[in-house]
Amino acid sequence: MNATECRREQDVLDAIAAGRWPDRCDAELSAHVAGCAICADVVAVAQAFREEHDAAWRDARVPPSGRVWWRAEMRARQEAARKAARPITVVQGIAGACAAGIAAALIGIIWPAVWESLSAVAALKGVKDAFDAGLLQLAALSTSIPPQILLSLGIALAAAIVLMPLALYFVFSEK
Amino acid sequence: MRDWTLTDVERLAATSVAAPVDAYAFQMDEETFRAFYERTARSVWVYLSRITGDTQAADDLLQETYYRFLRAERAYTSDAHRKNYLFRIATNLVRDARRRHHMTYVPVPAEDEAGALQTGGDAAEQSVRRTDLARAMAQLKPRERDLLWLAYAHGSSHQEIAESLGLKTASIKQLLFRARRRLATLLRGGERSA
Repeated sequence: MNATECRREQDVLDAIAAGRWPDRCDAELSAHVAGCAICADVVAVAQAFREEHDAAWRDARVPPSGRVWWRAEMRARQEAARKAARPITVVQGIAGACAAGIAAALIGIIWPAVWESLSAVAALKGVKDAFDAGLLQLAALSTSIPPQILLSLGIALAAAIVLMPLALYFVFSEK
Repeated sequence: MRDWTLTDVERLAATSVAAPVDAYAFQMDEETFRAFYERTARSVWVYLSRITGDTQAADDLLQETYYRFLRAERAYTSDAHRKNYLFRIATNLVRDARRRHHMTYVPVPAEDEAGALQTGGDAAEQSVRRTDLARAMAQLKPRERDLLWLAYAHGSSHQEIAESLGLKTASIKQLLFRARRRLATLLRGGERSA
């Protein structure tokens, strides 16, 4: 025997587990427990836990195994589906970013010309004059831009118009 | 207690998940799992409910414990080894829950304590003892509760406790001695210094 354990500890635990403690166990074991601080602690703790364990065991209502299996299976499938969909989401995100970039570039190219037109309109006094000046401005603008750039702009604008809603739809449709 | 029947929403969810069966792997088939679950679920639930002090948390953690167990890629040398690993998952989940949600131990109340006290006799005494234990458990450190429950309620050996709690077998004796001494003192009303 040392300071942390007693050789009769297991006998005490067996007596408690078998329901022999304290009335139906050996008088010699009872006498030992009365004089052994370690075994006295074991009795106090083990008896309390035994009682609590039995009560908890009676109260326990665990879900059926089929339900636990089904839920685990569902969750594993959902995780697998999420994992498989991750690369698609990345591609959708890139497409969305491209479309947004094209749109921003288009706005950047067109904006100075639009701003110039608006300024010209604001500078004119009469509505007719403004209309005429606007027409003139537009005509001047269209003639000043080379046809290659106009064609590229037209294609980029058409692509953005088609791609943007598609990209937005795919990005947000997952939710 | 919850109603464990399937809701319509869950049934709908079951049919809407598109991932094929072979896209994920469980470490055992359904039949083996069911047999293992029947042998272990009640003791895992009892363990979870008593070390958290919360039966509701025990319900949630039980499902999570078995899910992680099924997904774990481990080889087991015996059924006892498998069971110890299950308890280790449960212990780790409780630790995580304590850390993440600042979960505090709330003693599980003895069932119908007031009724038992009115009736008197053994039921009243038992109810008082259970309440005393719950209060004393609330004053222990989480690891002390885990250790004591496994040793004295579950009947685990030192090696099994070490495997379940992720500790060294050699340290269990000393840790158990200190925890037991502390609880015994609390149960006696703190008349002796721990």
